[in-house]
Amino acid sequence: MNPTENKIFGANEIDTSCRVPLLALFGGAALWLVLGLALGIVAMLSFHKPDIFADCPFLNCGRAQAAANDLLLYGFAMPAALGVLLWIFARLSQSPLALPIVPVIAANLWHVGVLIGTSAILIGESTGHPWLEYPRAAVVLLFAAFLLIAVSAVATMGLRLNRELYPSHWFLFAALLWFVWSYGTANLFLVCNHPPRGGVQAVINWWLTNNLLFVWLGLIGVGIAFYFLPKIASKPLANSGYTLFAFLTLIFFGTWVGIPQSAPVPAWLPTVSAFAALLSLVPVIAIGIIAWKTVCGAKVSCLGGPFCFIKFGMLGFVVSSLLYLSEFCPRASRVLDFTWYNFGVTQWQLLGFAGMILCGAIYEILPRVMDRELPFAKLAKLNFFLFAGGTLLFVIPLLIGGVEQGLKLRDAAVPFADTSAVALKFLRLSTTGQLLLLLGSLCLLPNILAMTIQWKLGLARTVIAYIKSPLETPEVKL
Amino acid sequence: MKTGFSVFWAAFVALGASWFGLIYGPLKQLGGAKETAVLQSTEKWPVQRTGDATLGLQIYRANGCAACHTEQIRQTGAAHVIAFTDLGVHQAADLKSFIASLMVVPELMNYSNVITVNLAGWSGEMPKVLYRGADDAVVSMLGDKLKAVGVKTEARVVATGADIARGWGTRQSVAADYLYDTPVLLGSLRAGPDLASIGVRSPDINWQLQHLYAPRSLVKNSTMPAFRFLFKAQKKVDGKDAADALVLPIEFALTDGMEVVPTPEAKQLAAYLVSLKANVPLYEAPFTPITVAK
Amino acid sequence: MSDEKKSCCSNETGEPTVTRSSAPMWIIVVTLTLLFTGGLFIDSHSGWFGKNIYAPYKSPEQLESFQPRSGAASAMARGKAVYEGVCGICHGSDGAGKPGQAPALAASEWVTAKGFNRLAHIPLAGVSGPIQVNGKGWNLNMAAMGAALPDEDVAAVLTYIRTSWGNKAEAVTADEVKKVRAEIGKSPQPYSGAQLQAMPE
Repeated sequence: MNPTENKIFGANEIDTSCRVPLLALFGGAALWLVLGLALGIVAMLSFHKPDIFADCPFLNCGRAQAAANDLLLYGFAMPAALGVLLWIFARLSQSPLALPIVPVIAANLWHVGVLIGTSAILIGESTGHPWLEYPRAAVVLLFAAFLLIAVSAVATMGLRLNRELYPSHWFLFAALLWFVWSYGTANLFLVCNHPPRGGVQAVINWWLTNNLLFVWLGLIGVGIAFYFLPKIASKPLANSGYTLFAFLTLIFFGTWVGIPQSAPVPAWLPTVSAFAALLSLVPVIAIGIIAWKTVCGAKVSCLGGPFCFIKFGMLGFVVSSLLYLSEFCPRASRVLDFTWYNFGVTQWQLLGFAGMILCGAIYEILPRVMDRELPFAKLAKLNFFLFAGGTLLFVIPLLIGGVEQGLKLRDAAVPFADTSAVALKFLRLSTTGQLLLLLGSLCLLPNILAMTIQWKLGLARTVIAYIKSPLETPEVKL
Repeated sequence: MKTGFSVFWAAFVALGASWFGLIYGPLKQLGGAKETAVLQSTEKWPVQRTGDATLGLQIYRANGCAACHTEQIRQTGAAHVIAFTDLGVHQAADLKSFIASLMVVPELMNYSNVITVNLAGWSGEMPKVLYRGADDAVVSMLGDKLKAVGVKTEARVVATGADIARGWGTRQSVAADYLYDTPVLLGSLRAGPDLASIGVRSPDINWQLQHLYAPRSLVKNSTMPAFRFLFKAQKKVDGKDAADALVLPIEFALTDGMEVVPTPEAKQLAAYLVSLKANVPLYEAPFTPITVAK
Repeated sequence: MSDEKKSCCSNETGEPTVTRSSAPMWIIVVTLTLLFTGGLFIDSHSGWFGKNIYAPYKSPEQLESFQPRSGAASAMARGKAVYEGVCGICHGSDGAGKPGQAPALAASEWVTAKGFNRLAHIPLAGVSGPIQVNGKGWNLNMAAMGAALPDEDVAAVLTYIRTSWGNKAEAVTADEVKKVRAEIGKSPQPYSGAQLQAMPE
């Protein structure tokens, strides 16, 4: 056995080492994605037909919406992101995954945690804090699982032959610390016995929501995109200095955004967030320019393949981040606060940016890791168009409806019933978009399931063949 | 960035800075908050909820009401208002010319347009707002000069903003309002109206119960889901209504012999809603309180 | 799948690479400009981290200028504060009085009388000797609890008791209290019920 330092691993060996952890993470993620999108539709149904779940507390609009949001973030985005992160670290380190059994255990813990959390919300035991509705039991499981995966990831990163870090390393490694600290802090303060009094709970919640949905998803999505875009386009990533600048400004400025301008807290808090939002325009634009420069002139057509997903995702990052940051401009927030706009922007961040990049990455990684082609390649291409069309149809009516609702809310002469009626027209379009998204997610799930089953069947065949093969009797020399 | 350690260090400092500024800072500033004094009163704010209202907060949380309702009022400004309350022996026309004559005073010159516009077309109806703006020196000067000729005026401080004009509250929400809320359920979407002072607008518990059971029986075209699972349909005993049975219009009532009775959860939620009153003036959100005789 | 080496350019590992150069100057200039603009914004809008400054108020001075000062409410509040501190110990916070200590003020004909002259004499000079309140006879001593209070406070507390607990009578102004005080003189003797009845209303 050659010493590890001198051994050069082939791509095949690296990919194979990631097989089981990634299947565990991606399989669960795909399932939670379907469930999350379905629950999102269930929540919206209450607006179209208000009495539909009048007798069923579990599918009540408030509970279903909270469960759907958390499923999209903790059920789909996080495990998928962690799986892609592990594979990218292994590839960049030119070494198989370190401690491969650890992410498998972690994946199982994670999915159990998500299951407990979702069930808790639907039976009415949510904590009440947006994006932190999971009760203590689920939080402990998620946190422990994340730590385990982080250990494996850091160990893999430590095994790298080429000691210089590639930009994706910065983004993804920072993301590991980011989640552990922010999620840990927020849950410690809020989901514990003696949460702080008054407005401070809301401040902590807003801090965490920003750090998860803007900074963490941004770090993950951009880190993954900065790996795949140059790889698929066969061009180097544009400019190390630029990327470093984008990384540093994103983490230093982006983390202070989050307190809404109308918040019932002393004025310095929303002012600081508005200042940070202004400055966060810089990394968003820088990242957009870097992605553009990397992709421009690439002679690769995507045709609904992973490259399309990732390009759309990067465009989604720039647009959704600009829309998100605009919420913190004091003049704009007077119109945009408390409307469907905020909801639309969050869904764009989750689905139109992170979701697209993660799906594209999964479709790029799975064939390599399983060492076979996608079983339903046409579904994978359809997936792109359903997701792209679905996201736009889902989010854009929410944004426009939100602005209209906000303008009417500003005018006290307009009765409240009119403000919610104007949004209803747009919600109908949105729900159609959600249906398209659900159909798209139903294209991802069969691919992963089929690959898992094929692999397991392959394993079973190998075992059976071994059992059936004749024993080699040693020659006895008399 | 060449090494993992430098990346870790950068991320640590960045997140640490925002942790320090946005978590530790507010914790130190607001975390130890106690009840504050209500302006011009010996009362303290907020008032601790008791009984059903405390349990109702948990029902509100469990059903995700904060997904569609907010509990925070916004304010875009404040204004000093001075209004006539008693003209004494004077007529409206005399006062108009008297006030016009006051407009040559240097401090009032800037406001002559505004005041003239306010008084145009006024023929004596009371009360009449004379000036509404940011300058309290104008208000006290006008008040003194009019008192000298025997005209009674009232000077008030009011909060301004669309939420306030809609009657959703008399001032903006501040951190002190949420002192006893666990968890704080601010909400971020107004699919339904703001609830910060719903106990002032709709103080009748029966209205709240009926609204929870059949929102469209009270608010036409409402998109609020009906919360029928918080109620029980039961047979009437001896053909008579139970004491707490809901009185429903024909389209929403059950068949003869059946009645709708709220479960304890429904009563708790209604009690919580009725307890939501954020209409006292505080130092950080001032307005002239309206006195109500006991 | 294993066409890594074909798909990526100058790297034999097949992993992506990054070109080496520095960030363009313009973006650094933009960042510094935004930092400066933002600093101005923080200066004007943050209330300099004050605990009590909530948007839209911008400074402690501005918040102070919007504190309500005048109005009927402040007189009521002042009256209530004086009452609870001076009178309520004996007459009760609810104005119901305490048997053997002080008569009730709620629904008392002395308090709700149209004219306040008799009432105003009581806190300024005190009561001693028999007095009828609501059909009940009292014969205790009340000190001149209001003698040391300024006119505004006496007026406020009289207004307060005349408009609370179901009482509906007109307010009393500080000037009117001043006149009564002048009438009584420097060191008055406490009045008895009969003496008070003899006064004009």
